[in-house]
Amino acid sequence: MTVRIVVPSVWNPDHRTDFESVAGPLPELIRRFADEYPGMRRRLVDADGTPLGYVNVCVDDVMVPRHQRDHTVVPAGSTVTFIAPMAGG
Amino acid sequence: MDDMVLVPGARFDQGTPEHVLDWLLTQPQTLPRIWFADETPRRPVTVAPYLIDRHPVTVAQFREFTRRTGYRTDAEERGFGLVYDVDGWVERPGVAWHSPGGPDTGSPDYDDHPVVHVSWRDATSYAAWAGKRLPSEPEWELAARGPEFRIWPWGDDWDPYRANTAELHAGRLDDLGAWQRWWRKECEGSGPVPRTTPVGFFSPHGDSAAGCADMAGNVYEWTATLSHLYDPSTRCDPTVNRVMGRYRVIRGGSWMNFRYQVRCSERMHGDPLGWSSFAHGFRCARTPVEDR
Repeated sequence: MTVRIVVPSVWNPDHRTDFESVAGPLPELIRRFADEYPGMRRRLVDADGTPLGYVNVCVDDVMVPRHQRDHTVVPAGSTVTFIAPMAGG
Repeated sequence: MDDMVLVPGARFDQGTPEHVLDWLLTQPQTLPRIWFADETPRRPVTVAPYLIDRHPVTVAQFREFTRRTGYRTDAEERGFGLVYDVDGWVERPGVAWHSPGGPDTGSPDYDDHPVVHVSWRDATSYAAWAGKRLPSEPEWELAARGPEFRIWPWGDDWDPYRANTAELHAGRLDDLGAWQRWWRKECEGSGPVPRTTPVGFFSPHGDSAAGCADMAGNVYEWTATLSHLYDPSTRCDPTVNRVMGRYRVIRGGSWMNFRYQVRCSERMHGDPLGWSSFAHGFRCARTPVEDR
């Protein structure tokens, strides 16, 4: 039931990029991950816990369009990559 | 402001030498090597002669474009734009190129500043209207540093008074905490509005080898180039790797950045599907008439 989560190396002081979480609806997965790792919370959700729309999300090789994220379910074994709208730098 | 610089064609090594990445890791900055690895390895590229704007496109120039064409930017269509407030990036209603911090934040004082809140589509639409195009990534880098490598447009020695970076406003910044303290104070004073400066404000001392202004800082600049690795085997940040073939290359850094993000060979990659912010602008290029 696990999924691999990949985040930018600059989101963590130790530059860790790989994490694990639980499969399920994408908004829930994002909220749960933000709760588990409060140091990354502000990069993923707003004050109300709503996922930030400008942060792009790839499930395996597919970039999930913003308007489809609420209805996306992430299956076990997938890799979810969070990508800032400006990457690198 | 509609002047362009003719850049002679050249063959040069695009990218950052490994010894500069080594040097970066000795500097008071916290980003890991893999974050910069997409700048390497250097590779030879050949660029034909081209014209490039001496300055980024200004608010006044963009206003003329919208007045003549009725064009509406992606931010205007969406009804919101991205600014960085005291807590981080936030989508704020009413933010657009004419109101860069939200309703009632527009001012004629911005007319000679670079336009911001322009997406990749907005930038390419303006360029087409002006009979121009966005520069390719190699064209941008060649105009910034010339055929010989240099770290910043004026040379290898950092000078905070030659470019609009956060270090111009805040003094020397060595870590994100210092940046956040500066920005919190700025926001408390006048809110999250862009700290851009008039184009050419740092000329001639901040100009590039080709005579272009504002190639370090002021606004991030879109290029025409689809993001790609110089060498597909390069190990870089996994999320940077993921945007290859999806995002478009952005160059130059902005007023928000430290000195290390405004280097001539620094690469960033932007989501081209409607995204923009209060630090993103562009300049145009054109192929000389005789070569078209």
